[in-house]
Amino acid sequence: MRLAIDDIGKNFPGVVALDGVSFDVRPGEIHALMGENGAGKSTLIKIITGLYRPDRGRLLIDNQAVVFASPRDAIAAGISAVHQERNLIPRFSVGENIMIESLPIRRGLVDYDRVHAEARRFLDLIDPSIDTKAEVRRLSVAQMQIVEIAKALSLEANLLLLDEPTASITDHEAQALFAVLRRLKNEGKAIVFVSHKLEEVISVSDRVTVLRDGMVAAAGEPIAAMSRGRIVSAMIGREERVADIGARKPLAAPALEARGLATSFGHKDITFTLRRGEILGLYGLVGSGRTELARALIGDARVLAGEIRLNGAPISIANISSAVRRHRIGYISEDRKSQGLILAHPIRANVAITIWRRIAARCGLLTRRREARVAAPLAQKLDIRTPSLEQQVGKLSGGNQQKVSIAKWLAAGVDILIIDEPTVGIDVKTKIAIHELIAEITRSGVAVLLISSDMPEMITLADRILVMRDFALVGEIENERRYESMSRRIMSFIHEGVDSSSGGAQAEASHG
Amino acid sequence: MTLSRRFFSQEWSALAVAILIGFASLSLLSSAFLTEYNLYVMLRSFCVVLVVAFAQMLTLAVGQLNLAIGALGGLVAIAVGGMMEKLGFPIGAAVVLGLLIGIGGGLLNGLLTVRTGINGFIITLATASVFAGINLGVTESIPFYNLPRSFVAFGVERFFAVPYLLIPPVIAALLLALFLARTAPGRYLLAVGGNPHAAELSGIPRDRIIVLAHALSGLLAAIGAILAEAQLGSAQPTIGADWLVMSFAAPIIGGAALTGGHISVAATALAVVLIVLIQNGMVLAKVDPYWVQFLLGALILAAVGLNRLRAARIEAG
Repeated sequence: MRLAIDDIGKNFPGVVALDGVSFDVRPGEIHALMGENGAGKSTLIKIITGLYRPDRGRLLIDNQAVVFASPRDAIAAGISAVHQERNLIPRFSVGENIMIESLPIRRGLVDYDRVHAEARRFLDLIDPSIDTKAEVRRLSVAQMQIVEIAKALSLEANLLLLDEPTASITDHEAQALFAVLRRLKNEGKAIVFVSHKLEEVISVSDRVTVLRDGMVAAAGEPIAAMSRGRIVSAMIGREERVADIGARKPLAAPALEARGLATSFGHKDITFTLRRGEILGLYGLVGSGRTELARALIGDARVLAGEIRLNGAPISIANISSAVRRHRIGYISEDRKSQGLILAHPIRANVAITIWRRIAARCGLLTRRREARVAAPLAQKLDIRTPSLEQQVGKLSGGNQQKVSIAKWLAAGVDILIIDEPTVGIDVKTKIAIHELIAEITRSGVAVLLISSDMPEMITLADRILVMRDFALVGEIENERRYESMSRRIMSFIHEGVDSSSGGAQAEASHG
Repeated sequence: MTLSRRFFSQEWSALAVAILIGFASLSLLSSAFLTEYNLYVMLRSFCVVLVVAFAQMLTLAVGQLNLAIGALGGLVAIAVGGMMEKLGFPIGAAVVLGLLIGIGGGLLNGLLTVRTGINGFIITLATASVFAGINLGVTESIPFYNLPRSFVAFGVERFFAVPYLLIPPVIAALLLALFLARTAPGRYLLAVGGNPHAAELSGIPRDRIIVLAHALSGLLAAIGAILAEAQLGSAQPTIGADWLVMSFAAPIIGGAALTGGHISVAATALAVVLIVLIQNGMVLAKVDPYWVQFLLGALILAAVGLNRLRAARIEAG
């Protein structure tokens, strides 16, 4: 199947996700789709799979314009996808999840013998060790990812879209996947492959399209003609704009420390020191346990061994609320919309929420004026673009929402701020403003633990970088702020971790 | 895995144990308990509650609630009664039309929910009032007492301790279990409840499945209404008025997840058995029946707490 996208545009409130994107994929090719976070790759995949409708532009299959009203239509047209987010039914078996699009029926009833036999066939292509009768919710993140891939393969579609399929699986499994993809390609299937891993893209794909800020930065170039450097510069943009974070000099005094920490999430032997005024980066792939570590540090997990120290003294954090009130540790969630902000409430109330008790007047009454007195200077300092503090937070752009999150914790007067993926889905300009803002707040001694899977962000901001893999810290690097050498060092830490679990020779082969 | 471990890993194991203990202690404590007539009385009161619990269970399966079950049941009951008594319809025709009214009411709930995107809680709260309004407007609260003799007889007659009234609920339970476990629409229903987004991406017609759940819920409410009518021997406009708490209690005691995707026909049925057993025990012990409500509440809390403990122990291995 030949799929062409013609001049597609898609807006979300406050964000232009895609702006005049054209793209095509032919039978018998693997087409890589690359770009930084927020460049529009996943939006494009969701349009092709019928989940989003484009605001303008056309989809053409074999030169015929098509309109997909729902994912059903796309599946019927022979398109299947592995999406970035998990899309499995937790209480169903592995086999049934794989076969759910087309359950085999015998005499009106689902034929479970065939469900498991067919699922086995597709699962064996990647990992024969997973039991098709196991419940999906009992699987590890990596196993779930493999089930997702098997599920997409089971449709035997003519166009297969894979959005970051290798983000949480081992090298060994990734190689098995690539072997399958090459075979499908030779059978004449069209494949679109989204990945952050350059080596992977170069080794497996035929052509590459790069998106940047919702626009095409490189259009279907043959991979042979693209160097690694050209792909990177297409992704980042010619003028490599970076935030100016000024001179960095963290204080020596430790603010937050973990000593041999093991948690009920599965972290093992986590030891690190976060100093006052420092930005400590925590890098790792999706599913490596970064967000869970943040949650453990604010009291959302049981500590099984080791200890957490605050300003040198061991503490025990009872729950999230006491992390803020007693220990002055704030957490800005990756998912600001569902976990960080109250979207229907005005900026004023969102900023003041953590200190309502402190600013309440006599008789415990809150007034708008008291809230505004806290919120106004912060809104100005953080340059929150809004007509008024009464604006509903849900109506702000993603970047301004993130600034409100930060303002909220500054208002609370926290000493330690854990920030999880601060600039996901935020445009480049605001991203730089947020980077400068994060650097700025550390000057007063606030310690920041920065979680990010955005490598340039990490290298721009962090003073030191911790690398996490499989719920353990595998490396600690002093950041020299040179992109090429730093990204190579970070990735080698991640890969070394991979090597040790899947055999050295295997990894050697995949690197060569 | 040993047999006992297998038994206790089942969600309904605690219920089964509770029922066994209840049954054993009631047999020892009361000589009136293990009589044929008392068993008949218990089985007879089991019937309506079971299908009403199933009606709610299906909306819980897709992660929704149906507050209109009782009101729809009341409407079906007086419609069937009116058709038989006032219009002289044959029993079969009246029953089939009554079931269609149930399906229609459920369809209305489902379509309003998916078309407007408004939460099913609000939609069914509103339609409950609509159904009850039609019911009371038409009947002016006056029951139909002169139902066909064979219809009333069906609600009373028995084979030893087994009332004929038990036949439809048992068939419904078996069909429902088969539907949910082995048919594609049944699996889709649980998939939509388990992860609506994933279901949609898998090409499952989510909206249609939600409508289906509501329609089946309406059908079961109608079955419950007709059974209640046969049991009472008259078509009371108040049929269904006391269903709401029971309809939630049984599936929840049976381990249903309010977030959807996780229900069990067997466990819901066992929960109804337990409820009936407790009610019967209280009658035999001459406890004021008003206290049944209190005990039901305590039972819900106990069951939910136990299930949590059990889940935590399984997680810990």
